[in-house]
Amino acid sequence: MSTAVKNQLRVCFLSLKYNLMREMVNKVTFLTNVLFMVLNNASILVQWFILFALREDVGGYTLREILLLWGLTAASFGLAHILFARAFSLSELIIKGKLDSFLVQPKNVLVSVITSATDVSAIGDLLYGIALVCFCRPGVGGFFLFFLFTVTGAAVFTAFALLLGSLSFWFVRMDLLQNQMVMSAVSFATYPDGIFNGISRFLLYFIIPVGMAVWHPVHLIGRFDFGMFLTLLGYVCLLLSAAAVVFYRGLRRYAPGSLMEARL
Amino acid sequence: MDKRRDRSVAECGYPYGRAAYGMPWRKYTVIYRSVLMENLQYAANVAVGFFTYFTFIYIFIKLWGYLYRTPGELIAGYTREQMIWYVMMTEMIWFGSSAASVAREVSGDIRGGNIAYLMNRPYHYTLYVLAKYTGEWSVRLPMYAMLAVAIGAVMVGPVPGFSLAALPAMALCVVLGLTINAVFKMCVSLLSFWIEDATPFQWLYDKLILVVGTMFPVEMFPIGLQPLFKLTPIYTVCYGPAKLIVDFSPEKCVEILAAQVIYLAAGCGLMFLIYAKGVKKLYVNGG
Repeated sequence: MSTAVKNQLRVCFLSLKYNLMREMVNKVTFLTNVLFMVLNNASILVQWFILFALREDVGGYTLREILLLWGLTAASFGLAHILFARAFSLSELIIKGKLDSFLVQPKNVLVSVITSATDVSAIGDLLYGIALVCFCRPGVGGFFLFFLFTVTGAAVFTAFALLLGSLSFWFVRMDLLQNQMVMSAVSFATYPDGIFNGISRFLLYFIIPVGMAVWHPVHLIGRFDFGMFLTLLGYVCLLLSAAAVVFYRGLRRYAPGSLMEARL
Repeated sequence: MDKRRDRSVAECGYPYGRAAYGMPWRKYTVIYRSVLMENLQYAANVAVGFFTYFTFIYIFIKLWGYLYRTPGELIAGYTREQMIWYVMMTEMIWFGSSAASVAREVSGDIRGGNIAYLMNRPYHYTLYVLAKYTGEWSVRLPMYAMLAVAIGAVMVGPVPGFSLAALPAMALCVVLGLTINAVFKMCVSLLSFWIEDATPFQWLYDKLILVVGTMFPVEMFPIGLQPLFKLTPIYTVCYGPAKLIVDFSPEKCVEILAAQVIYLAAGCGLMFLIYAKGVKKLYVNGG
């Protein structure tokens, strides 16, 4: 069992390595994509400087907490798109019948699919997130929690995209919905939860999993609570399991296309 | 069967161009009409984007609802209703125009080599893209406008002091703003003649428009920076049209329209120049 896991991890690592090597063929484009993504993200800070010139807090968050929120969102989203970029375009693979080449490989189908692409600009997101948290200086424990929550956040975003993408096995045009729901989740994640209340707050914590991906971790970095930490980990495991179950259930319905494709 | 009716939009330039000898704008009108008809067939697809638009507006309604603590409070001279309507209008322009499609198409044509075929057609490539873009937003924009009005009516309330009589001037301002935005996005995309991928430059341009002109009116920024922003495309693309809708005045309207005309002329000049230089570069590389 452990050999199988080791082999799978090795394949994932090689997949990531070759994805990056492919993207780095043109070094100027690679660097421009990364650098400009950092600048692209940084430009949004202007919005927060303007808002904090009006009020001392926005939704109960100080500027430092907003930077932490942005850092965690960018790093989680970036990590998810570096390691599992294909999960975010899964609908397209299903609709166009491009899963065939993954089905014949002697490895885990789901893992092979989602690790088969890397979004280069996401490296810029990750670097930007790390830079912001360095600026916030949350201490050694805070840094550790930040990196841990970057991983859980990436898992939540990936699982959410995977869940929505897998619905393409049953419904048409889920590619549009998948993209819109994921981008909406990211949009919500970059604003403090204090501005939302009532049913919208509930939806954002449990249905569109922004709360568990970003807001809750930011609160935990500020004030750690072991019980809430376990709740978060439980939620992440539950969401990942649900995403995997839905994917494999859907895969039974998958009808291969006549597309000839080789995956090397 | 009339075979000409089966031609794609990309192919319609030649026969119509010939027929329209001496009437150079007619072929672009035909392209516009073809794309408009095509988009009307798939209007339901546009509605899928409503979810993202609603998400943005909902966030801003909540955000400004939190920041405006007393009824009737003014921030940078705007009431809460005006501020939210401002964002709704700028986002309506953003979503309704889908200028990103212009950028994608031009970059894709250049990177994929399709430009080598398109540039030989009897139309100017950039005007062809603009005509297609106009056909696209002619369907999208009214749909988003209706959505914006519906959200505004239900969740925000009417725009204070809105005048229906000024609607034609506002519409003209919005149309010019959309066109200027497309022209500048195309200028950025045409950089693909020199660099492989101009997308990162598009991000920066988009963020400039988004952060400075879409999320807030220019008055929210420090007074020293405001004249500077009025010299950028922000003033003509999003701030100007949205400002007229939430706070109309004839003097402001004339000022914004004049700025738009100047910007459009300068933008088109720049676009033709970059295209002409880029095409020469394409010859050097062999296409």
